[in-house]
Amino acid sequence: MSDSPASVPPSAPQSADCGETYGFLLLRLWLGLRALVAGIEKFGDTRLKQIPLLDASGEPDISGANVEVQEKFYAFSNYQAVPDALRDKLALEPLMPAWMTTPFYALLGWLLIALGLALLLGLWTRLSLLAMGVLYTGLTVGLILLKQDAGISWLAIHIGLVAYALRLSKFNRFSLTRV
Amino acid sequence: MIPNAPAPRLTSPGLDRRKFLQTLSTAGLGLALASPGSLWAQTPAPASAAKTYSANDTLNIALVGIGAQGRVLIDALLKVTGIRIVAVCDIWEYSLTYGQRYLKRAGQEVRAYADHQEMLAQEKDLDAVIVANKDSYHAPVTNDCLRAGKHVYCEKMMSNTIEGARSMVKTMQETGKLLQIGHQRRSNPRYQVARTRLLQEAKLLGQITGANAQWNRAVSADLGWPNGKALPADILAKYGFDNMNQFRNWRWFKKHGGGPLSDLGAHQIDIFSWFLDANPATVFASGGTDFYKNREWFDNAMVIYEFALPQGTARAFYQVQTTTSAGGGYWEQFMGSEGTLKMSENPKYTTLYREAAAPPWDEFVKRNLLVGQTAAPAAAEAKVDARETAALASYGIPVVLNKTIHQPHLENFFNAIRGQAKLNCPADEAFRSEMAVYKAIESVEKRQLLILKPEDFIA
Repeated sequence: MSDSPASVPPSAPQSADCGETYGFLLLRLWLGLRALVAGIEKFGDTRLKQIPLLDASGEPDISGANVEVQEKFYAFSNYQAVPDALRDKLALEPLMPAWMTTPFYALLGWLLIALGLALLLGLWTRLSLLAMGVLYTGLTVGLILLKQDAGISWLAIHIGLVAYALRLSKFNRFSLTRV
Repeated sequence: MIPNAPAPRLTSPGLDRRKFLQTLSTAGLGLALASPGSLWAQTPAPASAAKTYSANDTLNIALVGIGAQGRVLIDALLKVTGIRIVAVCDIWEYSLTYGQRYLKRAGQEVRAYADHQEMLAQEKDLDAVIVANKDSYHAPVTNDCLRAGKHVYCEKMMSNTIEGARSMVKTMQETGKLLQIGHQRRSNPRYQVARTRLLQEAKLLGQITGANAQWNRAVSADLGWPNGKALPADILAKYGFDNMNQFRNWRWFKKHGGGPLSDLGAHQIDIFSWFLDANPATVFASGGTDFYKNREWFDNAMVIYEFALPQGTARAFYQVQTTTSAGGGYWEQFMGSEGTLKMSENPKYTTLYREAAAPPWDEFVKRNLLVGQTAAPAAAEAKVDARETAALASYGIPVVLNKTIHQPHLENFFNAIRGQAKLNCPADEAFRSEMAVYKAIESVEKRQLLILKPEDFIA
């Protein structure tokens, strides 16, 4: 590697050691998966399925009994941005008018998936991190109004991680785009 | 029974009042019921050769008694495949017409009879009879049907007298016909799995030391009847009823029924004996006509049984209250050193509780025998008194019944006729179970503890 500053790419300064690069990579991976899976989960639900009860040898029980077991499944029709209880409470908040919350709920799951994928692939990494921070901040506003301190703290940790990731973003590698 | 035969032609699709009363007066059922011996004398001779059935045979069925329970059974029967209801029988024209019309709407044309003997004489292709009339008619009607070569499903209690119940077992044995008694919990897969897999195989409860069960119901008014639909006084008298109110509320009168201990208790006391696989060794009971002054049977009763089990004595308490619905519904509960099983026909009351010191039940959750419901709450937050033991983790039984509660028991009966199953509650076994009810009633009346002998339970 040349010592000339002009030959060093802006995203990987010559002074960087591989620890910072790996550190950023890990943060990108974690934040990306966190958002992607959280977004996918908004399309998940459980349903009861009936299956034959089996005896010790794995054959159907002599009673012919069927048992109900829970089964998780994903479908677009399952989409639920936030739990009903949270949505109902927020609906009572005058600072959260429907014109604001309705599009937010509609986009939340999709945004989480899109931002998660963008981070994992390294698509417009800084911009994606910034958007993720704004999204988590938006979620925090609702929780502040409902005085849910545990949730606020939890999101604050996310914001801190996003901010730190932005600080380390100059060490970004293995990404589809450079910015 | 004729496999794949067309539906029987309806010879009397509608029974008008005049025809009905003619039938009733000529049948002499009331006289016959007063002296069961004469009834049997009029009974058609048993079939000379036993019919054989195959798995796909359609069975021809008749229903005797279209009161409240009969109507519940009609709904269950209509869901059973491989049977055809061909006749209904009831002494009250109003109920008979209801049954006929109800079944017609369901696509089954049935012949109507006021007298079961006439029905037996006319219905040559009948395979089985469902008996759901008042308790005191169970024995004579069932015995007649068995002697006529029909298999019988009879509602519990078998009879309002021990002698009546005993006669049914004897007739079943003499005729070789099947007699299933309507303790329908015995065919409920959730009860079967709880008894066989959880209690007997897994021994989840450890040593069972106690049991209790209850059925509490709110105050209820007497059953009435539509204007102009009362039975004539002479017909009522012929069947032993003092008046129309007694006919409609026969469960509360000693010459017709057995009261709440029999109507409600018999189902649940049966579960004591069935789950513990033992007859009670003693019984002490208290009850009284505390509220309903116009009724004969005690409206509230409390019973304590002792069961001498191989592991030690288990005491079982039963209460039936017809003046309050408080107390959490109807259920049967078995308490052991390692857990408690609470059963009910209503799945929402079914719960298992694991004692804190008992071995883990995770294996049974994995095998779908249990489903986790709630963890035990933290001891500190739940305790009021330092002597309290920790609250218990609870589990459910995930077995589902996608049928009406009587359907599996009826299906078991029909499958037994076809030779594909053993009866889940044959009359001799029901007699053993119901003896515990008869003895509880005797204890109430004598106001003393009764020591029960093994021979008491043999018909």
